Amino acid sequence: MDTSTVVSRRSLLGGAGAAALALTTFGCSGKSDSGYGQAKGNVPDKYAKRTRVVLWSAYSGTPGTTLSALAQKFNDSQDEVYVEVQFQGTYDQASQKTAAAVQAKQIPDLVTFSEVTWHRFYLNDLLEPLDGYFTGDFAKSVYQQQLLSEGVLKGKTWWLPFARSTPLFYYNKTLFAKAGLPDRGPADWDEWYGWSKQLKGLQASGKQVKMECYQKVDGDWQFQGSVWQWGGSYSDGLTVTINKPEAVAAAEWQRKLIFDDKMAYMADSPTTDFSNQLVATMVTSTGSLSTAVAAAKKGGWEVGTAFVPAKARQVVPTGGGGLSIMRYATSKRKKAAFAFIKFLADPANAAYWCVKTGYMPAVGEAVNDPQLATLLKANPNYNVAVQQLAKVRKEDEVRLMVPNSNVMIYTGLQKIWSDNAPVQGVFDDVASQLTKATGQVKAQIEKHV
Amino acid sequence: MASLDAATARGTTKGTRGGTTVESTRSGRGRGTPARRRRRYPEYLLFLAFIAPNFLFVLVFAYWPVIYNGYLSLTDWNMLAPTKDLVGLANYRDLFTDPDFLATLRQTVVFVVGVVVGSMVLGLATALLLNQRLVGRRFVRTMAFAPHVLSGAAIGTLWLFIFDPNYGLIRPLLAPLGLTSPPWMTSSRWALPGLIIVYLWKSTGFIAIVYLAGLQNLPRDLYESAALDGAGSWRLFRKITLPLLSPVTFFLFLTTIISAFQAFDVIALMTEGGPGTSTTTLSWFIYQRAFVASDAGHAAAAAMIMFVLLVAMTALQARFLERRVHYR
Repeated sequence: MDTSTVVSRRSLLGGAGAAALALTTFGCSGKSDSGYGQAKGNVPDKYAKRTRVVLWSAYSGTPGTTLSALAQKFNDSQDEVYVEVQFQGTYDQASQKTAAAVQAKQIPDLVTFSEVTWHRFYLNDLLEPLDGYFTGDFAKSVYQQQLLSEGVLKGKTWWLPFARSTPLFYYNKTLFAKAGLPDRGPADWDEWYGWSKQLKGLQASGKQVKMECYQKVDGDWQFQGSVWQWGGSYSDGLTVTINKPEAVAAAEWQRKLIFDDKMAYMADSPTTDFSNQLVATMVTSTGSLSTAVAAAKKGGWEVGTAFVPAKARQVVPTGGGGLSIMRYATSKRKKAAFAFIKFLADPANAAYWCVKTGYMPAVGEAVNDPQLATLLKANPNYNVAVQQLAKVRKEDEVRLMVPNSNVMIYTGLQKIWSDNAPVQGVFDDVASQLTKATGQVKAQIEKHV
Repeated sequence: MASLDAATARGTTKGTRGGTTVESTRSGRGRGTPARRRRRYPEYLLFLAFIAPNFLFVLVFAYWPVIYNGYLSLTDWNMLAPTKDLVGLANYRDLFTDPDFLATLRQTVVFVVGVVVGSMVLGLATALLLNQRLVGRRFVRTMAFAPHVLSGAAIGTLWLFIFDPNYGLIRPLLAPLGLTSPPWMTSSRWALPGLIIVYLWKSTGFIAIVYLAGLQNLPRDLYESAALDGAGSWRLFRKITLPLLSPVTFFLFLTTIISAFQAFDVIALMTEGGPGTSTTTLSWFIYQRAFVASDAGHAAAAAMIMFVLLVAMTALQARFLERRVHYR
């Protein structure tokens, strides 16, 4: 045996110790002064010397590929910053992973939070106020002001609008024509109810067509609009009001449609069922428009959109996602992350995002960009979402700020939609849960809002 | 066994090291001269060095999380705040007075009993069938085992399609019987039975293969003797097969209970604990409280309750069921 190749126990242990030290040093190398490192990833060689920004995205499918394309365009447009988009699942999953990352002290720099989840990080002082990053050539005024205001608390901007949406009323023009209904959205829910009687018995592809369906998970967002339309609310400030008569009446309306009129049901995905012509109408996110249009084209039928019908009021909630920068990223990375936010807010890029995904234009000037202007002109359905912006309202405080409140509400709704449970009893129970949960975070909210 | 017992009785153990039989006197171990002890000291260090990586691995990844979880169960913490407030046993008190948690425990029991009993019975029946000389037996065995190697996400997606009341595969199967497919995953009445069916499908193949291995190791002479004495197939099964398979049954019973308690992936994909809370089992409850509600304290307390339940059930099974196991 060649003794020169024999590794002694001592040299092995010494080597292992040196390797451990090297790994520790390497592991600490990306940490900021606050002790937070950056989420790991891969940087292509040609971008290796740039400031790396990790963006945790909640977008898959078309929005996911569109965001990646924009990041690629940004990376190729300059030579200082490299944005690495890392898909982290739904908004809830991205939020959960960000919470875990905070515990592991290895965080992303930029995160796409939903209108609900960003509050969780704001209330725990984990977000960076963004006002100081705006400069002369990029002012906050570029954003649609109603949408921008939803990310402002205590006079500071924490969350910038990006993939914003509202519930929109969709209808199957072809089925409407077969049932002898007019080619427009109903003025109010009572007119819609009359139409449901006319549509009863209609079949498509051998299946009985229903008037609408309710989204099993996260359906409390659409129902927020229903409660307002009936004159109620989930909460008044931090006082829970979901068990008041107006909110109860809104849910009772839906319960009756399911179990008495047999014209509605609870579905895993209303968009899928609408695309398969199982329902003639649906109220869901503007972000579903491209999916519905594509399905209609493939199936040989036509989609129409309209404002969500009124009852006592005509109003819809905003929803969707925005961008926040994590407070404990290094200053260099925070500046680099904001450079990408600025890039996304460029009207041409914002318009590209809207055209590809169907989300509402969060940047005012985007609607004048030729690509979006052409689409809005050619396809009136996209224009309806933009026009409905005049009817939007920020969601009730308890749903936005109290952890798990959305789950409590949609779990209650599921009991009504699937079990025919008495509405008042369910909502009394939900109100009690919401009040208890609000009590646990009230001091924290009052300190921050 | 007899020779080992005899050796142990003499205080002597035998083994082989490097191909040479070595003998050591137990009574003499640890004694000897100081010089001899000094010579052995590096051997202990070497022993510690060898076990240290595995020992540390088990300590860090198995025991430490349990201990830390026990600590978290006594705190009020939202998973983001820098501090955790100690609240004593308040989280446990909250859970045992929460109707939703008590309903979760009931649903967990229904789910576990359904999955364990169903998959054990179906697994044994499948194994008995696969043990016959049938055409295409190998192909059928592979097909029976296949669901076990599929990921929960694939299984969930597949069964969402099968259960779809409008387009699902189950619909044409029920139609000739004059039955319509219920809204499996959007109905509180059907969602839990639906999940049990999915888990039965997922776990039966594995149980069947393990039972099959057990069946193929049973001594043929016993069957031949009993058959000569006039025992019929049912008697052979009841008096020979089942008792001789009892070690396998014991192992499968333990592991299936533990995996049924921990079932999560398919629930996450198919029902998310709903409709309402009708399919919320302990594992989903823990996930929901921790990561959706940001309530680490109650989640940790529920996890400790699940841990204690599993340990208690395992201990009870070892204490009472193992007595009835026939090890050959």
